[in-house]
Amino acid sequence: MTKFMWFQLISIIVVLGVLVTICVVEDKLVTESLNNVADYCYKIESAIKENDGIKNEDVSNLVFNLEYDWLKDEGNLCFLVNHKSIQEIGVEVSKLKTYIEENDIKEFSVSLELIKLYAEQYFHFMGASFHNIL
Amino acid sequence: MLTIVARAVIIYLVVLFLYRLMGKRQLGEMQPFELVLTLIIADLATIPMAEISVPVLHGIVPLLTLVLVHFILTLLCKVSTKFSQFVSGKPVIVVNPNGIDYKALKNLNLSIDDVMEAIRGAGYFKLEQVQYAIMETNGKMSVFPKSEFSPVTNGDMKIKTEKSALPINLVSEGKIIKDNLKIAKVDENYITKILEKANIKRVKDCLVLTVDKGGAVFVQAFNKAYQTFNVEPLGQVQE
Repeated sequence: MTKFMWFQLISIIVVLGVLVTICVVEDKLVTESLNNVADYCYKIESAIKENDGIKNEDVSNLVFNLEYDWLKDEGNLCFLVNHKSIQEIGVEVSKLKTYIEENDIKEFSVSLELIKLYAEQYFHFMGASFHNIL
Repeated sequence: MLTIVARAVIIYLVVLFLYRLMGKRQLGEMQPFELVLTLIIADLATIPMAEISVPVLHGIVPLLTLVLVHFILTLLCKVSTKFSQFVSGKPVIVVNPNGIDYKALKNLNLSIDDVMEAIRGAGYFKLEQVQYAIMETNGKMSVFPKSEFSPVTNGDMKIKTEKSALPINLVSEGKIIKDNLKIAKVDENYITKILEKANIKRVKDCLVLTVDKGGAVFVQAFNKAYQTFNVEPLGQVQE
C-alpha cells in the first residue's frame, strides 16, 4: 500500500467513525431532551392538580426548571438541527411564565398542550425513522 | 457576517479535504457517478454556508456520507468488472473500418456532427482517415487513425535519438528547490557555478533555472531575457 492509500484508508475509517458518532449523539440528545420536556409537562399538570391552580411555588419552579433545561438542550440541538424548526417550545415556555403571573389557567393549559405536541412533533422529524428517511 | 465567514472557511476546508481524498480524477475526467457526486457536493456545500439557521453539520454530514458511498462504489468497481460496467458503462466503438456504426451512435444518443467534431478535435478532418473511434466511459472520444494517416515517428524513420530527459527545476522565483537538488544529486555550488556563467550574481535574482540530464541549462534572471547553454551533465539524475 502506498502512502496515499493509507491516507485514504485512515480517512475513510475516521469519516465512518465521525458519521456514526454524530448519528448516535444526535439520537441520544433528541430523545433525552424531548422526553425531558414531556416529563416536565406531566409534572406541571400534576402540580396544578395538587395545588388546585397555577399561581404557586411548585408550578413556578417546574416552569423555571423546564425553561432552564430546554434552553440548555436547545443550544446543543442547534449543532444538529435547524434551530428555526425547534424554537416553538421556547416561545411557549416563555408564555407559561406570563400566564402564571396573570393566573390565566386556560391559556396556561393551552400552552402546556402545545409544548407536549411540539415535543412529539420534533421527535417525529428529528428522530431516526423510516418515515423520515423517505 | 462573522458567522458566514467562519462557516464559509469551514465548508471550504471540508470540501477541499474531500476532493483531496477522492484523488485527482475528480478534477479531470470523470465517470458518470463521479460527475453526480461533484454536482451534489457543490450544491450541498452552499446551503449551510448562506443559511445561518442551518447547522454546519447539515452540510458536512451528507458530504461525508457521499464520499463514503463514493469510496464503496470505487472499491466495488475495482473488484468487479461487471459492476464497473454497470456504473460507468463501457467503451463503445462508434467508427470502425466499415465506417460509422449508426446503431451504436443511436444508443449513445450521439449525432454524426458529434462524431465529426470529436474526430476534428483529434486532428483528423476526414472520416476516411479514421480506422476506429471509441466513445470512452468518461465521455471523451479516442480516435485511432488508419496507418497511412498516422503521424510519422522517429521509430518509423529509424532515426536514433537520445533518451529525452525531463528538465529539473533547481531555482524558482529566487528560491532554491532543495528537493530537486536531491533528485539531481547536486549541491548549491553547482547552482552558483551556473549562475556565474549566466552573469547572475545571487540566487534571489534568478527567476528560473532548469537543467536536464545532458546538462542543457535554461536560466532567466528577473526582468531579463533567458539564456541557454550546456554545462557538465548531471550524470546521475533519477528519472
